Amino acid sequence: MKAVGARLPRYDGIEHVTGRTQYVDDVKVPGTLWTKALRSPHHSASFSGLDTSRAEAMPGVHAVITWEDVPLLEYGHLSALGIPADEPLLAKDEVRYKGQPIALVAAEDEDTAQAAVEAIGIEFEERTPLLDIRRAFDEDAPKIHQWGNWYPHFEGEMDRRQIRKGSIEQAFEQADTIVQGVYRPAAIEHVPLETQVSLVVPEANGRLTIYSCTQALYFSMGVVAAHLNVPLNKLKVVGGTVGGGFGGKVDTATETMCALLAQKSGRPVKWRWTREEEFLCSSTRAPWHMEIADAVTKDGWILGRKMLTLHDSGAYARFSPYGLTKHSFHHTGAYTIPNLEFDGFVVFTNRVPTTAMRGFGVTSVSFATETHMSRIAHVLGLDPYEVRLKNANRIGDTSPNRIVYTDPSTVPVVKALAGGMGVELAPDYAAMDREQRTGDLLPEHLVGQLADPEDH
Amino acid sequence: MNLTVNGIAREIESAPLTTLLDVLREELGVTSPKVGCEQGGCGSCTVLVDGEPQRACLTAVAAVEGAEVTTVEGIGTADSLSAVQQAFTHHYAAQCGFCTSGMMLAAEAYVQRGGTDDREAIQEALAGHVCRCTGYVKIIDAVAAVARGEEFDITVTAASPGMTNLGGVQ
Amino acid sequence: MTKATEVISPTSADEAASLFGDGSGVTVIAGGTIVVPDITYGRVAPGKALLLGGAGLDTLDAAGSTVTVGAGLPVQRLSELAEDVEALAECALNVADYEVRRQGTVGGNVCAGAAGDAPRGDLQGPFLALDATARSAGAGGERSEPLEEFLAHRKDRLLLDLTFEKPAASAFASLDYPHTHAYTVLAVTGVRAADGTVRLAATGLAGHGARLRAAEAAADADAAGAAAVGDVTLGDDALASAWYRERALPVLVRRVLAKLGEAA
Repeated sequence: MKAVGARLPRYDGIEHVTGRTQYVDDVKVPGTLWTKALRSPHHSASFSGLDTSRAEAMPGVHAVITWEDVPLLEYGHLSALGIPADEPLLAKDEVRYKGQPIALVAAEDEDTAQAAVEAIGIEFEERTPLLDIRRAFDEDAPKIHQWGNWYPHFEGEMDRRQIRKGSIEQAFEQADTIVQGVYRPAAIEHVPLETQVSLVVPEANGRLTIYSCTQALYFSMGVVAAHLNVPLNKLKVVGGTVGGGFGGKVDTATETMCALLAQKSGRPVKWRWTREEEFLCSSTRAPWHMEIADAVTKDGWILGRKMLTLHDSGAYARFSPYGLTKHSFHHTGAYTIPNLEFDGFVVFTNRVPTTAMRGFGVTSVSFATETHMSRIAHVLGLDPYEVRLKNANRIGDTSPNRIVYTDPSTVPVVKALAGGMGVELAPDYAAMDREQRTGDLLPEHLVGQLADPEDH
Repeated sequence: MNLTVNGIAREIESAPLTTLLDVLREELGVTSPKVGCEQGGCGSCTVLVDGEPQRACLTAVAAVEGAEVTTVEGIGTADSLSAVQQAFTHHYAAQCGFCTSGMMLAAEAYVQRGGTDDREAIQEALAGHVCRCTGYVKIIDAVAAVARGEEFDITVTAASPGMTNLGGVQ
Repeated sequence: MTKATEVISPTSADEAASLFGDGSGVTVIAGGTIVVPDITYGRVAPGKALLLGGAGLDTLDAAGSTVTVGAGLPVQRLSELAEDVEALAECALNVADYEVRRQGTVGGNVCAGAAGDAPRGDLQGPFLALDATARSAGAGGERSEPLEEFLAHRKDRLLLDLTFEKPAASAFASLDYPHTHAYTVLAVTGVRAADGTVRLAATGLAGHGARLRAAEAAADADAAGAAAVGDVTLGDDALASAWYRERALPVLVRRVLAKLGEAA
């Protein structure tokens, strides 16, 4: 174990400081065409009269693609995790978010490509968009997705991620107080310094070489192969240094379109997003709406938690059901709560589809649960460290989804935090450890979950 | 028009209002300055023009006729890294590396004009440079170290500049 | 993107004025920090571009009691006036970052239009508070006029320089976003002239910068802050709402007056 604790040079350290690290846009292939996209100017609209003939006829334009050029128009990127396809690679008949790509042009230079995009004919009929996830459930909400306004394909065709444990009714009856909170983190842009970009080169042997900024090379390879309906061995994906991804470069946002344009034109094709496109059209971390109501005793025990989560998926599902699933397992945070009623919905809106970003699905619930712990302490007039320490996960406690904790670190972390903040804990709290609950640390309401995790 | 790039006189064929960034990357094949925003907001395109740091994406090439342009390729090589390049390596000041070229040239110019290891002064000098990966602390550490004239041992094997020497672990 | 453009680079102020003519069909590129991104993003397609970098407009004369700032002076160089006009230097150093300030010019900043959805032209504030005179070329030839009048038709003129009397004291207060080269949301500059007159001006408004005359006439700092709101038209934009600016403006006015009061 020579590496642990040692100072190791980065394998790409010298490349970075000598400017020789190669990013996709640094790859120069003679004859490369420049790409521009026709994007939806509306949040929600149907369209007709899509006419690319004038664009195609322009000198310097080598290929134009629309939904008709895509062999498999809708492919579920996470179909392996049971999430069916819902999103067309290029819009067909309607647009569901501002910025959604409708057609792409590959031309000799940027100006020509842009002029060709502007020469594409299309007529929109605007519709009322749905932009607030809370309104998605209203009777008179616009219906914006073929599946309804929220994702209905969790296991057993459930329309929510649901966790039930113990008896929430009993917990609420026994509580001294109910502490409520609503938490609404906003969308966050990844803002990688390198914008979305790929370069696809049609090779003489019939394969396509794809220079991609993807964070997930084999994953993106599968996506391209599926949309193009070609075997994997027809593609050679060259990944490499990503100029910042943070979860935003898992969407395979440009590769498939460039591949289609490369096939159609017979030329290398590059699509590099402008910073404006990156801000306006790229996927973001999702906004969330979380409501928590905890049944608590006056000495700070949390008997039960009711929680409702709405996750804003944007116009299509992408990876959101997966994010919500992870979120649901963590909705008690680092603490043991035996009686649970959790419902989480993946809600569609006419916004850019949301995606992964560092701690996908879990950062939201960590923020909400930790803030809520402090809120409980505040409402009850108790010390926030003490409230955390007594409810902390300990060996033998069970998670919301009935996993038994064997190695939980809540207690040592909270104590270290107190130490680092110069807070002196009361002696019985300072003496706490993470060993299995006994005595005062094992009140009535925690007995069942400890003794009988599967059946509580 | 004429331009000297990293010590080599070049005759530029691109149209006069082509940005210096596009001239360097597309016409001359000098790809260390990066396209981050094309509106002067991120600093990843910064080059030195007559020794002073300037955004190449904001510069029409005709406006720098006859100037000496220096990019990262011109301040050091793997066999002979400048102090700034060594400091950035030693202090892990680069993660994805996309902002690194611009950062180092801004740092280089700062040190050349007498910048000290005062962290606020360094932040002020590099204020136009965005990094999404490192959180800036190690970048400031690196620049402060250069300002103090520190020496670095990064134990690089000259024979394999692309791969640093894992065997050199202490 | 820039193929059909005729590019001319005058080597003197006179040549620049003559080539500018009445301004029609001419795109002026001084530092380029505003116009070059406009060209890159296709918002501007110049037919004839006038590059001012070599026209000798980057002058700064502050030897006597009158200061003349050339329109081509890089914004960064206003730091040289820190002793004479603290507020002007402070405002200048609050713009963008070192690199952009070195490239952008006083003229480009003062003549800037609103940036799509955010205010620009921070330097208009101090120069208005200094009651600067703008000398410009354009239709009808060269003329000098109060900056306040110049701003109304700045798009049609080629600014050559700004002249003002050194003040007894000056102060600057701004409302910024944390990231250093985000636009200034709102700013106030105050100047106490040699004869004791106090002048106030603000930027970050719905239009270009403006004098705060009702605030100047007010009895005390609190009254001035309240009166300032009536001196301006505020708008909603990407940075802030008019509602928010209305509450921030009196605070900035009071801060500036307090600093002026403390100044020798």
